[in-house]
Amino acid sequence: MKSLLRQKEFSIFAIIVVISIILSIVSPAFLTIGNLLDVVEGNVVMGILAIGMTLIIITSDIDVSVAAITTAVAVSVGALFSYLPDSWISLAIIFLIAPVIGLLIGSVNGLLVSKIQIPAIVVTLGTLNIINGLVLYFTNGRYLNSTNFPKSFLSFSNVEIFGIPILIFILVFVAILTWYILKHTFIGRSVMAIGGNQQSSIRVGINYQKVKLFVFAYMGFLCGIAAIAQTAYTKAVDPNGLLGLELTVIAAVVLGGTNIHGGRGTIHGTLLGVLLLALIQNGMILARIDTFWQNVVTGAIIVFAVSYDHISYKRQQEKLAKIEVA
Amino acid sequence: MSEFILQMKNISKTFPGVKALDDVELEVKHGEVHALVGENGAGKSTLIKILAGIHKPDAGAQFFFEGNEIEINKPNDATMKGISIIYQDLSLFPNLSVAENIYIGQDSHKRSWNKMNWKKIKNKAEDALNELESDINPNSVVEQLSIAQQQLVEIARALAFDSKLIVMDEPTSSLSSDEVEKLYKVINKLKKRGISIIFISHKLRELFEVSNRFTVLRDGKFVGSYVANQTTEQELIKMMVGRSVTYEKNQSKTEVGETILNVSNFSKKGNFKDISFDLRKGEILGLTGLVGSGRTELAQAIFGVSSPDTGSVKLFDKEISIKNSEQAVKHGIAYIPEARQTQGLVLEQSIVNNISLPVIKKLRNKFKLINRKKEVEIADEYVKTLDVRPPLPELNAEKFSGGNQQKVVIAKWLSADPSVVIFDEPTNGIDIGAKTEIHKLIRRLANDGIGVIVISSELPEILAVSDRILVMRKGRISGDLGVQEATQEKIMNYSLEGSGNVKTNQVANHSDEVTQEV
Repeated sequence: MKSLLRQKEFSIFAIIVVISIILSIVSPAFLTIGNLLDVVEGNVVMGILAIGMTLIIITSDIDVSVAAITTAVAVSVGALFSYLPDSWISLAIIFLIAPVIGLLIGSVNGLLVSKIQIPAIVVTLGTLNIINGLVLYFTNGRYLNSTNFPKSFLSFSNVEIFGIPILIFILVFVAILTWYILKHTFIGRSVMAIGGNQQSSIRVGINYQKVKLFVFAYMGFLCGIAAIAQTAYTKAVDPNGLLGLELTVIAAVVLGGTNIHGGRGTIHGTLLGVLLLALIQNGMILARIDTFWQNVVTGAIIVFAVSYDHISYKRQQEKLAKIEVA
Repeated sequence: MSEFILQMKNISKTFPGVKALDDVELEVKHGEVHALVGENGAGKSTLIKILAGIHKPDAGAQFFFEGNEIEINKPNDATMKGISIIYQDLSLFPNLSVAENIYIGQDSHKRSWNKMNWKKIKNKAEDALNELESDINPNSVVEQLSIAQQQLVEIARALAFDSKLIVMDEPTSSLSSDEVEKLYKVINKLKKRGISIIFISHKLRELFEVSNRFTVLRDGKFVGSYVANQTTEQELIKMMVGRSVTYEKNQSKTEVGETILNVSNFSKKGNFKDISFDLRKGEILGLTGLVGSGRTELAQAIFGVSSPDTGSVKLFDKEISIKNSEQAVKHGIAYIPEARQTQGLVLEQSIVNNISLPVIKKLRNKFKLINRKKEVEIADEYVKTLDVRPPLPELNAEKFSGGNQQKVVIAKWLSADPSVVIFDEPTNGIDIGAKTEIHKLIRRLANDGIGVIVISSELPEILAVSDRILVMRKGRISGDLGVQEATQEKIMNYSLEGSGNVKTNQVANHSDEVTQEV
């Protein structure tokens, strides 16, 4: 119990409870199953991306191209839609192709980071710009609505199981899959190891490049899934719809207790971080707070969370005595 | 079968400008504890890094393991053969459990996609830990363990991978004496299993306690291999310090003036304790001790990079408080760091810009713009007086040789007109000719009335530049010597632990005398 209380995840959970109580007092509409499901469904894309980002940040890297990759896949899927028949086959094809496109783009990031060893922030800023430019070139910034979508895809996006939207199940599936990889496969433990102590990982012979390549490729794979979720949720393809989402994603991961210096982070923590950000935004909408104030509050929370994390990290470092004084 | 488990022959290693190892050999017998001995910079770590495959030796190197020639080209070539290396800073993952740390070992690169078999992993860890008679819980997270326990985890990892040779790099440096005793027991246990150990340590007493034989390195050269119980401590010290490169010992008698800097009762937990000394005008104070004795930490605390827990600094008899390095500079204290390329210079900028950096605020005209003409004048003057070659102040700092870069760093601090200058390893990585020039420069600063502290591991250098020498050991001042009475052997005695208790007492008395004088 004590160890549970001491976990970072627990403090986030506590904050979520407090905010929920405040919100349900402020607005009676908040604490209804309908509203809560809406909140979760509306943040499935952020959740999927945040899960992938967790692995990357654990290895003490960063990927700012996630929103761009997701958009690129969504645009490709949108272009593909007009060629697809109205049958369940189309759905299968989409679920096959979208993750593969994402995986390929993610692998490019991964190769540049691991083999050529360019800092990830530079690589992903580069791919972010290249993708955004290409997307604008091909779409002219035009919004694609659902008239060309195969019927099967539209009905898929409306599926509910026990009253819960299908997209939430996708998020849960991604969460479980990633949790399993991180916890129960050797490569998952290598991700943790590299983040914990890079020097050690090289000394014990972990294939450092392969692990880096893996986290970026897997991120791309999840971007593909996120693109399906985004398209299903909005029933449209908006080339500008996800602009700037990468920052919120990174914020959610850090808020969820993943250490920006690497080595620490859990999937359930990240999910809580996503939920916390989502609730704050939802609460502010319910409280009719202006959009720009919402941004200010979100930004302030992020700065606070990272500062807190960094201060406790520095304290911990100072505690490590270097010399045994006689 | 060969008598030796490991033979390294014809090992040379040239780094740009420095020959770190010159035709060194190392032979370790089956089941023995073999100590690798030498001063700081003698080449011990380089040799181990070559064995580890982290550094590539020059052509001609040969390695034999259990009598068969093996290739060592990259990390893990050796570890795959059954050689485990336990580095001083350990190779553990603080965020993972003990069992995981033991499992993630030598053959990691082969198993990326394996499923973690938690039961097997835990059993393997338990077996290895049991063998070491340790009660560490395999489920606990490594960062919660003490250093001694972490070390055991590393040894357990070596056992789990059936290592036949374990290298321990200064394993006792961060252990208490109790823990050291326990480590000896573990080492004896390993020995009984037929595992050979290469043991690196600066503590002579423990070398004699645990090792069967040792190999001495000095200045990158092989001095010899000796049987432990046929050698005395004094003989060993002599072999470690007897040098090929010598400087003139400082003979000049400087007029020592008023006290410039007084440090009293400086303590910082885990860094240094009860440090008190005076620095007088025109005096060069040498500060030496082994790496990790707290020298640099002390200097950085004086300079305000870190703050001590207790103690005070007086400058010209006035107590000053230094919270950060900017304040230190304002008070006229300059610190010239060891890594001059990364900490002392902006390599991509001209000599002029580098020299004017500390005084840039004073060079502004009434519009708060920098007076470039004055800037160049100052730089020109220093380039001339310090004889920086080539004398081209507009050239970028990266274009100059190490010795000349160091001159620029010195010029940079002189432009700020300091009253105290602290040099940390001033001639590290500089060739011999330039070294003596830097030494002369340091002497000139002192003659100009600046109080100078020189930190160096190189004993001949300390003897060549200092008027007085402070020796540190484990965060305390263990010796305070005038240069006339100082010898390399004496300094070594004060730096090392356990070279005769009688002498340590003498040191204590001596420093008492000094404090009484003040």
